Amino acid sequence: MLRFIGIRLGRALLTVILVVTFAFVVLRLSGDPAVTIMSPEAPQAAIDAFRHEWGLDQPIWVQYVDYFAAIARGHLGDSMRDGRPAIDIVAERIPATLALTIPALLMKLVLGIPAGIYAALHRNSTADRAVMAGAVAGFTVPSFILGLVLVLIFSVTLGWLPSGGREMWSSPILPVITLGLGGAGILARFTRSAMLEVLGQPYIRTASAKGLAWRRVVRGHAFPNAAIPTITIVGFMVGSLIAGAVVVESVFSWPGVGRLLVVAVANRDLAVVQCILLLVATTMVAANLIVDLLYGVLDPRLRGTAPAGAH
Amino acid sequence: MKRRTFLAASLVLPRVAIAQSDTRPTITIAVQKIANTGTLDPLREQSSNASERWVASILETPIGRNQRGKLERVPGLATAWKRIDDRTVELALRPNVMMHDGRTMTAEDIAFSFGPERMFGDALPKDIPAVARRHWPALERVDIVDAQTVRFVNARPDITMEGRLSAGGSEIVSKSAWIDNGGAWAANSKKPVGTGPYKLRSFEPDVSLVLDAHDDYWGGRPPIRTLRFVEVGETAARIDGLLSARYEFAADIPPDQIATVAKHAKFQVLGGLVLNHRIIAHDKHHPALADPRVRLAMAHAVDGKAIVDSLWAGRARVPPGLQWEFYGPMFVDGWTVPKYDPDLAQQLLKQAGYKGDRIAYRVRKDYYTAEVATAQVLAEMWKSVGLNTEIELKENWPEVLDRAGPRGSRDWSNSAVFDDPVSSIVNQHGPEGAQQTNGEWTNAEMNDLSRAMESNTDMAARRKMFARMLQICERDDPAYLVLHQNATFTAKQKALPWRAPPSFYLDFSPRNWGT
Repeated sequence: MLRFIGIRLGRALLTVILVVTFAFVVLRLSGDPAVTIMSPEAPQAAIDAFRHEWGLDQPIWVQYVDYFAAIARGHLGDSMRDGRPAIDIVAERIPATLALTIPALLMKLVLGIPAGIYAALHRNSTADRAVMAGAVAGFTVPSFILGLVLVLIFSVTLGWLPSGGREMWSSPILPVITLGLGGAGILARFTRSAMLEVLGQPYIRTASAKGLAWRRVVRGHAFPNAAIPTITIVGFMVGSLIAGAVVVESVFSWPGVGRLLVVAVANRDLAVVQCILLLVATTMVAANLIVDLLYGVLDPRLRGTAPAGAH
Repeated sequence: MKRRTFLAASLVLPRVAIAQSDTRPTITIAVQKIANTGTLDPLREQSSNASERWVASILETPIGRNQRGKLERVPGLATAWKRIDDRTVELALRPNVMMHDGRTMTAEDIAFSFGPERMFGDALPKDIPAVARRHWPALERVDIVDAQTVRFVNARPDITMEGRLSAGGSEIVSKSAWIDNGGAWAANSKKPVGTGPYKLRSFEPDVSLVLDAHDDYWGGRPPIRTLRFVEVGETAARIDGLLSARYEFAADIPPDQIATVAKHAKFQVLGGLVLNHRIIAHDKHHPALADPRVRLAMAHAVDGKAIVDSLWAGRARVPPGLQWEFYGPMFVDGWTVPKYDPDLAQQLLKQAGYKGDRIAYRVRKDYYTAEVATAQVLAEMWKSVGLNTEIELKENWPEVLDRAGPRGSRDWSNSAVFDDPVSSIVNQHGPEGAQQTNGEWTNAEMNDLSRAMESNTDMAARRKMFARMLQICERDDPAYLVLHQNATFTAKQKALPWRAPPSFYLDFSPRNWGT
């Protein structure tokens, strides 16, 4: 098990390094932060001074080495826009993002999994078709469309809920619904498919034939086995807690990490972008690691061979 | 009640009563962008009109602008100004101007605001002095004559000093507050302490800027108790927020959305032309653009009025070249942009021997209002006369300016920062202007004229020089083509007694609230 965890951690570290390296190179090759931040009307002397001050006049490999040397010292860099440590800027935004993504994740789980199980147990019924139609609509309608439609109905027409910002107690409702509906649809689809596959397995028929109550068959045999693909999706959703609301935060002017990422990319605020990507990559990798470990918990057959079976 | 308690209560109660009787509203304004650089310092925010919406609410310039008129110079922190000689201007400061830190403004604050700690020193981030030098290319020193009198002394004659004193970049900050806040630029750039009608309460970059009324404002008690600027990037979200009464104002409304707001009886859209022209800059080193006749043909192929009518609902205009009536005596009467004449455009292309070579036309995705739609219209207009332009959508300015490609033409704009062509045509197209420093265009005669105009004080001679500059930049060796004058629109609740100034500034001072 320790070897398994060690290999996973090594891969995770490599993934994080690759993500950050990719972002480092792409951001530097796709626009000069000095011109982006100061605009093309700025005097050339000001742009040159800015470049020098932030080391942008150095070869890219020197900047890269400096960046990783700073990370090794525990410093993720400073924002070029306002000079503060990038980690402070990002940390300020995390609570706001989690205030959306955690309730949205709960909504996805509470709506999506029961809906998927229900649809599977009532396969080809009107209820199944209704649930699946709702699920498909949930994840196919882009979140910026869904968000604006909700604003139009609940803010503009009915005047019940705020259309954006974070000041009121009711501010998170629309963005959470926007985030939650799409994810619930995805979960419902996956849960239904997984359940249908498991329900057709011989051990389900055996359990039924042995006289077990159908409810116990579903709860004790079908769902735990169907949970593995569902857990994989939930793992991705947990990994997206930090940066999974980029579009929704923009639509609802929600001051979270996603909106910060958009602004930082647009301004080529390199340290902030890299800090967010580091955080996102770490979260995603950690979530995947936890999912891998959960496979073993859910399916005893995978405990000894988790690395292979997990895929 | 003990005597001490009574005395304490008598001190506190009136203040509570005042606070309770403060019925002034809190106003929330949704803007597209609060600040591009994450700071509140005009010297860092120098090239963006985003900050123009709120800067003057906090920081003021020595000489003001009439936001209810035509932006002409009016007394501000200085009640009067006079020329000592052609390189010295003396300001008589307004007495009893209370700054946000509770101190009275003096000549020390003026001198400090233009001194090494604030503008020109080595301890500042290196871009700040460079930007300050663009605003004040030859400022030598600020002399304190007495507590209420200062003299701005230039190293060379400069007829535009009064204009510069009314322009962005010349804002006055509190010397004491700057020093008390540690004296470093980084800390003070986010905590401006000035003289404006509103003082800073909080600033969260990319999220919100909250200002409270500065009740000791020299111009009268501000009409709003708290001003909240919130950043809402999406137009639809700004409009929805306005219609659902979440915001009282929604700024930066594109022209095609005016009707959407106006159909609601309780709302209206105000605004109009501002001192900014949309232009298209050329790289004359592009093989197909090397012949000036091709660049001129591009101008003759453009039906600016059609663009204004269709994409701006007729609320912008095709201006008389890169100039504004605001220039006053420097305005060149009778000058126009090249007329829309497709036949002439085709003749010019033929004379230039243009063979249909591809010309890249670099555009950002609606950085400017209706930018992509305008680009598509332009591409069709150019195509109709035989020009082979190809739109290249770019994400940011470095990609627009990237020399690889090669560059052809690109979108840009130009503002009149103050009432003289030095602030616009020289600023962007002169020898130190961005179009020349990034290698797109140069012209020796234009450069000579630019240098001469900066120090020449003979208005008639300067006007003649400017006319020649227009001839060079818009006809003989086109540096750019002027597309249209820009306009800005602000949607608001109709009941609120506010008028749109002829600028990007959202003026909530006592002068602009009420009938």
